[in-house]
Amino acid sequence: MTNPLAIFIGMALINNFVLVKFLGLCPFFGVSKKLSNALSMGLAVTFVMFAASAVIWPIHNYILVNLNAEYLSTVVYILVIATLVQIMELVIMRTNYALYSAFGIYLALITTNCAVLGVTLVNTSEGFNFIESLVSALGAGTGFALVLVIMSGIRERLDNARLPKSMKGLPVAFLVAALLGLAFSGFSGMV
Amino acid sequence: MQLLLTVIIIGLIGTICGAAIYIVYIRVPHKVPGLRRIDEINSLLPGANCGACSYAGCFALASELVNHPEKAGELSCPMLAGDQEAVKRLEAALGISIDADALSKKAMIHCGGNSEVIFDYSGAQSCKAAALIAGGFKRCPYACLGLGDCVNACKYDAISIDKERQIAVIDYVKCTGCSLCIKECPHHLIQMVPGKTKIAFRCNYGEIKPIPGRERCETGCIHCRKCFNACKYEAIIWNKEKAEPEFITDKCTLCGDCIEVCPNNTLEFFRPQE
Repeated sequence: MTNPLAIFIGMALINNFVLVKFLGLCPFFGVSKKLSNALSMGLAVTFVMFAASAVIWPIHNYILVNLNAEYLSTVVYILVIATLVQIMELVIMRTNYALYSAFGIYLALITTNCAVLGVTLVNTSEGFNFIESLVSALGAGTGFALVLVIMSGIRERLDNARLPKSMKGLPVAFLVAALLGLAFSGFSGMV
Repeated sequence: MQLLLTVIIIGLIGTICGAAIYIVYIRVPHKVPGLRRIDEINSLLPGANCGACSYAGCFALASELVNHPEKAGELSCPMLAGDQEAVKRLEAALGISIDADALSKKAMIHCGGNSEVIFDYSGAQSCKAAALIAGGFKRCPYACLGLGDCVNACKYDAISIDKERQIAVIDYVKCTGCSLCIKECPHHLIQMVPGKTKIAFRCNYGEIKPIPGRERCETGCIHCRKCFNACKYEAIIWNKEKAEPEFITDKCTLCGDCIEVCPNNTLEFFRPQE
């Protein structure tokens, strides 16, 4: 996979983080109740993924690889991601307070979103170069946002559907997730 | 050697990350009006983010204080309550005076404990267990059973059992307002009230108002309105729905008239009198 388009499609659809790799499931169920929230969460995660990949690629290739300390990657990545999210939160808070209030707690929660850590780990394990890792981060983020938007659209409709009481809310969301996962498995083998 | 390398790498990267956050914190300009002030007030708050003030955290409380300074009178923060210095600094920053007593919340138990015991209970010594059998072994279905579920929940040794009356007694001074005891009581007798509350109403069956107090308990409210009529300062309002008095703390002068006229001794001073 060296063609950037192939990487993008591969990360967004074929190896979709939520439905195929099962990463970042908490925001998938937690923030998918309203379309607008889901969209902003998806965009925020995409941005953090992009920034984290950009920062982590040099750290991995120039520091960890040279020092033969690749076993530290998980710890270092989490450190860098947490810092990035903190900085991003500070900047957004001081420049655009409305956006900050709209994100609410989710902005800080991206720190512990495993999808962000996942994309950086995939980047290094696949041996992507700088551009490729940026493209793969964008693809993963787009896939994440896409699934969140699809899911929230369905859940908004389901709120008005007549369902048995025991199925309302989260249970039916699990069913929808299963069907979505099935649908996304159709992309496998496309590239 | 490898261990040392690990420590150095993580330490270095951690330091750089911390420094980056600090630089951003110092350098990024405040473009949102009022935010700097919220930050200032926030730094004066305890920073525990415990949520006892009913806001999402210290930052949310700070923004509320900045936007609506008149609400400072209702400010309740158990963390601040014990810290005179911090209260003074906050007062200076906000330019208003804060009633230190009002900061705290205290647990109040709504039972005088004089309901008659109607059968011998010898089961598990827990209020929750006892309450399952016909609502407890006292005549009043809302009575404090005195088996001490709240005592066990209290981390500050503020609740004790008065053996004679078989009732829980909350020490006003020791109570920190943590509200851990509230959910322990099967009869929901404990309620959080502002620390400046002056009169305690030791009865809890407003819901079953048609039943006169005396039939169930010697010190229950009999809804006679004597306290309401006795108050010279309009500090008592009669709640018609619950058929019980409501006390307005700001108007109360602690004269004690209502406590004196109460035929059943349902009322008490909430705070220990000097």
